[in-house]
Amino acid sequence: MITKKILLSFPQKSAGQPMAMELIKNYHLDFNILKAFIDDNIKGTLLLEIKGEEADIEAGIVFLRQNQIGVKDIQSVVEVDENKCVSCGACTAVCAVGALEMTADWSLVHHDDKCLECMLCVKACPMRAIHAVI
Amino acid sequence: MAKSYQEINEKIARGEAVVVTAEEVIGIVKERGVKEAAEYVDVVTTATFGPMCSSGAFLNFGHSDPPIRMGEITINGVEAYGGLAAVDTYLGATQPSVDQGIEYGGAHVIHDLIAGKEVHLVAKSQGTDCYPRTELDTWVKLEDLNEAYLFNPRNVYQNYNAAINGSSQRLYTYMGILQPNMGNITYSTAGELSPLLNDPLLKTIGMGTRIFFGGAQGHVSWMGTQFNTACPRDDKGYPQTPGATLALIGNMKEMDPKYIRGAVYEGYGTSMFVGVGIPIPILNEEMMSFVAVENKDLYTNVIDYSVPKKTKPNLKKVSYAELRSGSVDINGKSIKTSPLSSLKMAREIAAELSNWIKKGEFFLQEPIQSFPMGNAIKGLEIKEGESR
Repeated sequence: MITKKILLSFPQKSAGQPMAMELIKNYHLDFNILKAFIDDNIKGTLLLEIKGEEADIEAGIVFLRQNQIGVKDIQSVVEVDENKCVSCGACTAVCAVGALEMTADWSLVHHDDKCLECMLCVKACPMRAIHAVI
Repeated sequence: MAKSYQEINEKIARGEAVVVTAEEVIGIVKERGVKEAAEYVDVVTTATFGPMCSSGAFLNFGHSDPPIRMGEITINGVEAYGGLAAVDTYLGATQPSVDQGIEYGGAHVIHDLIAGKEVHLVAKSQGTDCYPRTELDTWVKLEDLNEAYLFNPRNVYQNYNAAINGSSQRLYTYMGILQPNMGNITYSTAGELSPLLNDPLLKTIGMGTRIFFGGAQGHVSWMGTQFNTACPRDDKGYPQTPGATLALIGNMKEMDPKYIRGAVYEGYGTSMFVGVGIPIPILNEEMMSFVAVENKDLYTNVIDYSVPKKTKPNLKKVSYAELRSGSVDINGKSIKTSPLSSLKMAREIAAELSNWIKKGEFFLQEPIQSFPMGNAIKGLEIKEGESR
């Protein structure tokens, strides 16, 4: 069993199809919906944490793509641009779970698996080096 | 055995000067003692890289044909001061842009200029007999300007408050985001590496001191604004609250964009990260004992920023070693601490300045005037009605 985070983008015509149901029934995948929203153009975005056998996850992703659903592997919903980051530490002030923390030599480190997607670090970064990927 | 500036500079010229950072010197003093360390070490380098709002640039654009007396000026949409001579201006670091607000301000324009980018210059004027042009719209680079120098009225604070939020609402401040109910503490210092904490009584830092400034060789030009040498001190002379500040000057054309960066404090404004390194000559044992200071012996106060008054409640006196440990205990609760200035970059600057001196590229400048001790800061009284 493995766990991974994927970001799904549904075009307007795919909205309303019971994709989640298919993933559970046909591919034995277990998942957690971390974020879901539909924009003004009825384009949907779904951030899932899926758990299952690697082969089942692969097959499930192929199935989704065949149905015109965009699938992107992501580690975390925020990315730190290392060219802009100066390791000041301002983002660590708001990261309650320690996904962003200072190392022993005072460099910033991003443990993306710990991120709870509160997005406060995006606002806290004075260098605007932290971006939301969704 | 005392050393003079001249003797140290002669050693630098011969490539024989012993130069270490203010962090490295701590171990040397522990190993050899103050007396022997003072004989061995010639220069100790200090540095800081953090947000310094009171910063800005004087620029001279040169004259167009026909010429203009620039009145209203914007650079990349950021307003610059039009109250100087025809094509001189001062661009303040915290000035927000007309279109992007605080997300792009004066500090970002300064960074872009130093990075060699072309910026959009727009100016308007009433038009005069000697300056007939009324409008100007062009693109310029740093290399096109006659003069471009940073003149920062208040940098490198000698000590600063740590911040906490005692209210039930999240606060957006120049000390970063402060979580409600004393959720976190922020602090901004290079501590034992910080320039003015290594020369607490300003015995070697004064007007004219040569410094590392944004990657260039700059100078201390004056005492900084809100210069407070009458602050409370410990028995060795280290300030316990915000103390001295420095006004700095340096040529933007020699600077490196890595060390001058635009910054945004959400809900507060634009600021500028400024990289400064100051060499401390070890003239005698007294200077060596000053630079040997450690974070455990440097103190500041945890101040509640939720109280909207000039004087805010002081919750606890803490050492920089406690702040650096990652948490501070207040009323039995362990509260997470986070830095706002980059120690990593400060270390890089101190090392770079050490290299310049070791290579004989940077010499010490003895101050041509010392700054006053016992200088207190004043507040501003609000007086109602007519002038009296």
